[in-house]
Amino acid sequence: MKHHLGLDYTIPVGDLAPYFEALQAGNALASACGKCGHVAFPARAQCGACGATDLRWKPLTGRAQILFRTDAASSSYALVKFDGADSSSTVGLCNPEQKTSSGRLAVPIGDAAGLWLTLTDNKGEEDER
Amino acid sequence: MISDVSFAGGAMTPFNRRKDGSSFRDWARRATRDALTDAGLQASDIDSLIVASESDFFTLQLNPAALLADECGLTGVAAKRVEGGGASGHLAVHAAVADVASGMARRVLVLGVEPSASHLRGADVGALYSLSFDAWTDGMTGVDSTSLYALSAQAFMARTGATVDDFAAVAVRNRAHARANANAHLQLDITAQDVAASPVVASPYRRLDCSPLSDGAAAIILARTADLPARSGRARFRAAASATDTVRLGERHDPGFFAGKQRAAQLAYAMAGVTAADIGVAEVYDSYSGAQLQALQALGLANSRALAAERDGYFAADGMVPVNLSGGLLGQGAPVGATGVAQILAAALQLEGRYFGRQAQNQPRFALVDTHGGIATSNAVSILEAP
Repeated sequence: MKHHLGLDYTIPVGDLAPYFEALQAGNALASACGKCGHVAFPARAQCGACGATDLRWKPLTGRAQILFRTDAASSSYALVKFDGADSSSTVGLCNPEQKTSSGRLAVPIGDAAGLWLTLTDNKGEEDER
Repeated sequence: MISDVSFAGGAMTPFNRRKDGSSFRDWARRATRDALTDAGLQASDIDSLIVASESDFFTLQLNPAALLADECGLTGVAAKRVEGGGASGHLAVHAAVADVASGMARRVLVLGVEPSASHLRGADVGALYSLSFDAWTDGMTGVDSTSLYALSAQAFMARTGATVDDFAAVAVRNRAHARANANAHLQLDITAQDVAASPVVASPYRRLDCSPLSDGAAAIILARTADLPARSGRARFRAAASATDTVRLGERHDPGFFAGKQRAAQLAYAMAGVTAADIGVAEVYDSYSGAQLQALQALGLANSRALAAERDGYFAADGMVPVNLSGGLLGQGAPVGATGVAQILAAALQLEGRYFGRQAQNQPRFALVDTHGGIATSNAVSILEAP
């Protein structure tokens, strides 16, 4: 028995809309907790550290340092710390051939909302994507 | 403490990639029939069915519990489905424990089933699995399970000094255990050199560090002892505890430590009135070789010195606490919904001295079973006691 299932989802993002809108422009918008001050990127609608819902938006520079990196045949991912964030983030690497340890947030490819990082050389300059 | 929830019986189909044209409905019927036989019960004795299945996209069947009740000759029973990622099967067992312990049901059949291998292409399964994490962030990059586990493993290695050689030793040993298990997917005779020579999937993990996608089903029946046919030597549940961790790896204090698993284990030890030192045999969630070491550390076995104990042979078949004598996910395989059910089955049969694979030689009084979904995000731990 053969069956093909094609599904196109449209997913409202609710309270996190500012975060996703910023991401589509290549900007890093974190959530900062009004109670404990924890800065989360990716942003959260409720503080992951203390549970408070009193959050405000905090723009980050978009620059990040790699903590751990994994490479596969066709893709590479890293756990990175964005400057100004208290949490770290999982990102896809846009230019994995670059072996440096820092990078800058990239505009997501297509309509995807995930975090992508363009690795930069030691002078902070980006390679061609 | 759980006072009177007994293992009535159970069975599993072989775990492998089906190429014989059989369907998940066939495997479910077979596991159910054989579990009933093992328990000495009839279908009419069952009053509740709990199905474990991770994804409707694998089965292409919504509301699978009602369907499988119908398919397995259990029409009329209460039927529900439990889902918790990789922990689905084990969490379904916990639901059954609660039903029996509370008196909500007398005899509960837990049926785990998943066509993880044969229904979809591997790439499509991988794409679905990437939604097992935070689908809005991780999932949208297409990150796969292996890459996220690899990042967690790297953090574990950086903190503990674990090496890829340690990981390879687990990959080799679990496959060796699987060779005694006729139901196992990967009954491989391999060496650490073979692991090191296998292709990189996501560094540091190579193909032989990874558990396979498997098809299969497993079923167990739980009940109060008084509601079962008389027979000697029933394993009993002493604890069924679960706990979660943050979904995003980056929000964990230490992305290499399975804190949610540690919490579940501590709850289970307290519930059972035992300590980690009382555990004599364990089935541990080894989706990846390094994840087994991460799990052992979080479970607090070997006095929380898991890496040193691993190197000393503490978790070997002839060690103090044999781990994954079934072969684990690495050897026995991983049809997701069935995985945790099969782990419980293996532990119960070990305690009853009638395991169909490699039997523990240390006459354990307590067995620990550990399963998780995500990167140890949903964690389930059970402790069973020998008759």
